[in-house]
Parts: sequence; structure tokens; C-alpha cells
Amino acid sequence: MVITPIHYIIVPLLAAFAIPLISKIHKELSRIIPGIVMFYNIVISFVLMQEVNTVGYISEIIAGWEAPWGINLIITPFSGFLVSLISVLGFLIWLYQYKFKKVIDVGEIKSYGILQMMMITGAIGIIITGDIFNLFVFMEIVAVTAVSLTSFYRNRDGAEAGFKYLLIGGFASAMILLAILLLYTQVGTLNMAEISERMHMVPQGIKATILVLFIIGFGIEAEMFPLNGWAPDAYSQAPGPTSAAFAGIVVKAGVYGLVRIIFTLFDIEGAFDFLIIAGLVTMIIAEFSAVHQTNLKRMLAYSSIGQMGLVLIAFGIGTKAAVFAALFLMFNHAIVKSLLFMTGSILMYNSKSKTISSLNGIAKKLPYVSILFAIGAFAIVGLPPFSGFWSKLYILTAAADKEMIFLILAILAVSIVEIVYYFRVVSNL
Amino acid sequence: MMQEEFNEIFVKYHEIITLGVYGTSIALMLIGLYAVLMKKNLVKIVIGLSIIDAGIHLLFVGIGYIRGGTAPIFSPGYENAANRMVDPVPQALVLTAIVIGFAVTSVALSLIIRLYKHHNTAKIDQIKSLKW
Repeated sequence: MVITPIHYIIVPLLAAFAIPLISKIHKELSRIIPGIVMFYNIVISFVLMQEVNTVGYISEIIAGWEAPWGINLIITPFSGFLVSLISVLGFLIWLYQYKFKKVIDVGEIKSYGILQMMMITGAIGIIITGDIFNLFVFMEIVAVTAVSLTSFYRNRDGAEAGFKYLLIGGFASAMILLAILLLYTQVGTLNMAEISERMHMVPQGIKATILVLFIIGFGIEAEMFPLNGWAPDAYSQAPGPTSAAFAGIVVKAGVYGLVRIIFTLFDIEGAFDFLIIAGLVTMIIAEFSAVHQTNLKRMLAYSSIGQMGLVLIAFGIGTKAAVFAALFLMFNHAIVKSLLFMTGSILMYNSKSKTISSLNGIAKKLPYVSILFAIGAFAIVGLPPFSGFWSKLYILTAAADKEMIFLILAILAVSIVEIVYYFRVVSNL
Repeated sequence: MMQEEFNEIFVKYHEIITLGVYGTSIALMLIGLYAVLMKKNLVKIVIGLSIIDAGIHLLFVGIGYIRGGTAPIFSPGYENAANRMVDPVPQALVLTAIVIGFAVTSVALSLIIRLYKHHNTAKIDQIKSLKW
């Protein structure tokens, strides 16, 4: 059997439909099958990345319709890297959620596995698709599954967080649909490669309108400043593995979508400055909000928003070194923040109340989990031997090359704030 | 005969019909936006979201329309009609978007039912255990 990019989409979809039937045979199967699918995703990534290394990029035509008319899936080194990251992370999260079954009661685990798998599939789809409307469809798959997962626990606040997310997400999807409509009237195609070729014919004013609509749409998934009201609630109310998946997978897909729209479709003067300013505001506000949070998962959520601001800044600097730094930071953040959410939810689960102060002295009860949490905290604030330090250093050197002194000062100042609130938790353990 | 009369009317009032479609869709979007922002009842907010979607769908179909165009189907007697057909792409997109809107609305309504069970109200200003 030849492995092609379409396997990323059809295998999880097939499994999602099959799980309710197969779980009639044995209950445990509904929990194991998502893991098998996640592992197969890693296999696909491995095979495809080797092919990308030799060929350069892979473009797969779906259903025999050539690219401008049909939908194609594209794997470049950039998107392939992100998809591999998501695949590996998806498998790790599945391993964690397999042991998490005590918290989620057994009757609902069937739908949990399906939803989690479909959310990851949607995120992969956002990254590999070459068609702008298909991108919208995958975004909606992510949105609907993410809302269902947010309100997975049938308590009061879960439903409220889910509804908030759905309201903002629904507005975002309307904006993206409108942007696609305007784009289609101007260029007459939905293929992203063709759009970027014909983009120079579009008048500057309409281009800016489309860009603003897209930024509103994707900014919500990428947790950009005025649009991230859903994030802290959703992160804190969702089950632990889902919070890890939000931080590691969904946000990455949102940022990739935003960056791809800005890099490939638009060359407006000031778009990159906009990224820097948006990232800066997002980062500063989020990190300062994180300081006075009492709920651990809320604090981690704000920290996650802040890190995404840093990624946006790095993309906004725009040099080759900065883009590398952004990718490196995304890689670090995906792994480290997932670790923090996983260990953090175990700590929360054992502390009875969800506040940080109730964690006092828990390290005596759960030494290994606490040590892992501490390592994650050190890595994310950027203490020297850990990866967070190197990614921040790369961003700072990239900013220094462009002589953006103010930016460097802001990043350093925010790092100190980060150290304050993470060390408050770590010293409390 | 009916069809020809229709076509005649369409050609005659083409400008007005186009303007009407665009105006209606924009009006729908604004009405939906008003409902989302101003209404306090959760169900009304979801209805507002659906109305915004409906406006965008109408606009999508509207831009695909061409003067006196036929349905984008090759059928006997219409073999060479490719340049007189309306644009099929927006119609395909709208079909997909309607299905997505249906999914989003159903999830929203199920969440509202759960919120109502817990809070015994569907007013958004009385449901605020989480900070905005």
C-alpha cells in the first residue's frame, strides 16, 4: 500500500464512523482504536517526511480533479514538520488519556476518543490542505469538536465555557466565510497557489478588507489579543488531555493558518508590523493576567496565549532566522505546555480544589509528577539548559539583527513576569 | 411559456434584482449581528448567528448569478451552454456551509439545554460563573 497525504484524513474519519460499531464487540476497543490511528499518523509522517526530503514537496490531487478545480493536499518541509509534530503529540496525548480513564466515566469515553481524534484530524487538515474553502471546513471540524470537548464534563461551567467558545467561534467562521467570498469574487479561484499568483491584480483596499476578515477569523483560533476571551475558560473547563491538545495542537493550527494567509496571500506593506504589534499586545496582556490567576489551568492558559504572542512576534520579524526561531518555539511550546497541562491536571485532580494554594506540599504525595511539572515550568520560562532558553535566545538574536531594541526589552521584561508566576507555583509544590 | 416570461422579467429588472439580493444579504447580516450583540436570550443569540450565516449564503449564491443564466448542468439541448451557466462553485460552497451551520447550531442548542438545566434561566446576563 502506498502511503499518501490523504491517509491523514480518511483513516481517522473511517475510524470515527467505525468506533461506535466496533465497540459493540468489546468496550475497550473504543479506547484503543484512536491510539492505533494516532500511531498510524506517526507512520505516515515518517514516510512522507522522507519523501519530502528527497523530492522537495508532495502535492496530492483528490478524486482525479486537477489542482485549480479540485482540492489538493500539499506537504512542504514546513507543513510536514508541523504535521509530524501534531502526530507525535496526538499519540502522546492518547497515551495520557488512556490512563486518565478514572476521571472520565466509562460510558462517555467512546465519544471522547472520537472527538479528540477528529479534533487532531481537523488540525492536520488545516495545515496540509491547498484549497482555501477546504481550510474553512477543517477549521469548522476543529471548532465543533473543540466545543464539544470543552463542555465534555456535564457540569455547569463546562457548558458555559463551551457556549462562549462556540459563540466566538461561530462569529469567526462567519468572518472567514465572508473573506473567502470576497476573495473568490476578486480572483475567481479557491486554490491557494493560484490565489497568491493572482493576488497582485486585486485593488489595495479590497485586499486590506479581506486580510482584516481573515485575521479576525484565524486570530480567534490562534488566541490573538482581543479575540482570546474563550481560551482561559475553555482550557480550564476542558478535561486534562483536551487542554493539552488545545495548547499543543489546535493553537498551532490556528497560528499556521494565520501565518500562511499573511505570507502566501498578501504582500501588503505593514502586514508584518501588524503581526509584531498584535503579538506584543497579546503577550504583554496575557502574561500580566497570568500573574493574578488562582486556578492553575487558567494560569497555564494565559501563559499559552503569551507564548503564542511570542510566536507571532517571531513570524512578524520575518527574517529567515526569525521564522526558524518561531518554528523552534512552536515545537518547544507544543511539547512543554502539553507536559505542563498533563502533570498540572494530575496535580489538580489530587488536590481536590482547583486553586494554586491548595497545591501546597503536594510534592510529598506525588514527587515524580511534581518534578516533571517543575521541569516543564523551568523549560517554558527559559532557564539555560532547557529548550525554552534557546528558542527565546534565537528570537532575541533575530530581533537584534533588525535592531528592534524595544522588542528585546519587552520580551525580557515579560520573561521576568513569567518567572514570577511559574516559580510561585513551583515553590508552592 | 412560463419560463420565457420569467426570463424576460429577469432580464428587464436585472439591476434591481441584483441590488435586491445584495441588499437583502447585507441587511440579514446586520440583523443577525444586532441579535448576537444586543439580545440577552441565548436562543435568540443562536438565531442571530444563523441569520448572519444565511446572509452570507445568500450573498454567495448572488455573486454566482449571471444575467439570464441557466442551471450549471449539461442536459440535452444545452450542450454548448457553458458560458451561459451560472457559476456552480459558490452553490457547492453554500451547500457545504449550510451543513456546517447546521452542525454548529445543533451543538449550540444542546449546550443551551444544558445551561438551562443548571441555571434555570436562558438569560446571558444571569449566567456568569466564569469571568469574561
